[in-house]
Amino acid sequence: MLVQSQAAVIARNETWAGKVATEPHEAGWAREAIVFVRALHDAIGNPGTAQVELSPDGMRWVPEGTVFDLPSKADEVTFARVAHFGTWLRISANLPEGASLVALVTLHLKG
Amino acid sequence: MNPDQHALLSAIRQSDPKLSRFDPLPRIITFDDFDRGFCGWTQLVGNYEHSLDAMLPGYAQHSMAMLSTLPQWDFGSHGSFDGTYALKLATKPREGAQNVTVKRLTFRRRGPLRLEFYFTFKPEATEMRLSEADVRSIGFLYDLQTGDQDQDGARIMPHLRFLNAMDGEHVQKWQFKRRTTEVKPIGTENKTISHYHLAPQDWEDLPGGSQKLCYNEIPTKINWHYVCFDFDLETMQATGFRCNDRVFDVAGFDPIRMPAMRNLWCMLNLAFFVETDVAKRANFYIDSICISGDF
Repeated sequence: MLVQSQAAVIARNETWAGKVATEPHEAGWAREAIVFVRALHDAIGNPGTAQVELSPDGMRWVPEGTVFDLPSKADEVTFARVAHFGTWLRISANLPEGASLVALVTLHLKG
Repeated sequence: MNPDQHALLSAIRQSDPKLSRFDPLPRIITFDDFDRGFCGWTQLVGNYEHSLDAMLPGYAQHSMAMLSTLPQWDFGSHGSFDGTYALKLATKPREGAQNVTVKRLTFRRRGPLRLEFYFTFKPEATEMRLSEADVRSIGFLYDLQTGDQDQDGARIMPHLRFLNAMDGEHVQKWQFKRRTTEVKPIGTENKTISHYHLAPQDWEDLPGGSQKLCYNEIPTKINWHYVCFDFDLETMQATGFRCNDRVFDVAGFDPIRMPAMRNLWCMLNLAFFVETDVAKRANFYIDSICISGDF
């Protein structure tokens, strides 16, 4: 049996400013994930970093420990690798005042 | 198919526990059990050209369906009907938010088509109260178009939803829709259009369509329900609709009809959708789906 694999767009053409988080993504079947963030336009200011978060229930979130840069130029892509994440995944960010980013976020899951 | 062949086919299917809880027509077109994976169910993305900004807002809110164990904060994974995973479709936590998942096929014969599936729905359990009126509706639709050589070229979209609640009232009735929004051109190349067939207006009550479904007694416990919907691709009319123990009269049912579109010949798309009535995620779970035809 081949392993399951899915590419899931979890945020599309969303303008991020201030505190943001992707919707809770349930993927307990997957053993590993890569999350990609693509800037659809040049960011305004420096968008800073995003962090991977885990959850026991899809409602309460804790940092997983992985932090990665958000892209700042149009079509620039940044990513983070995650494994052993339990049932739920999301990324969150707190963009500095005045900064904003139009994001396309993709989860690539295998298990 | 002669009577002996029919009896043999029935015996084979009824000896398989996964199929024996369905009543398929002779040809199984798809049998989707989400313990096997996503089975071709994907996100309904809206039409666009050159820029995603061209997408109608109703579609822009859509996100990907997930494989879910129906995990709950108070007891853990519920599991599916007879396995681990069900397909979960979740809205965003905003009043009136919707989400849609779709499977895209084409048909090879215009004739009877049967859709059967097992489903349940719940709001995200953010409150320790029953929350039975938080999910506005769950439903399904076909997006169909006749073949390129057919004389009566048309796009036909039968819609049915279970209106669970509206503005806090626990309504619990089945509705259908025969109108969509105005068709809007997308982009500049005159090749793409869009319309929002899940707009909140124009839903009509299915005559005799009130039904109280088992909801259970706290927001984290679910029970599975059965639906069977028969539609004839020859006449493009509904011919039957059942949910659990109820058989509904579909004489008054009518689909959305519009002129055929240039790129959709023989289209057989099936979609499921969910809407929330409050600023809380609504979850629509589907355990398994069987689509069958009489050919």
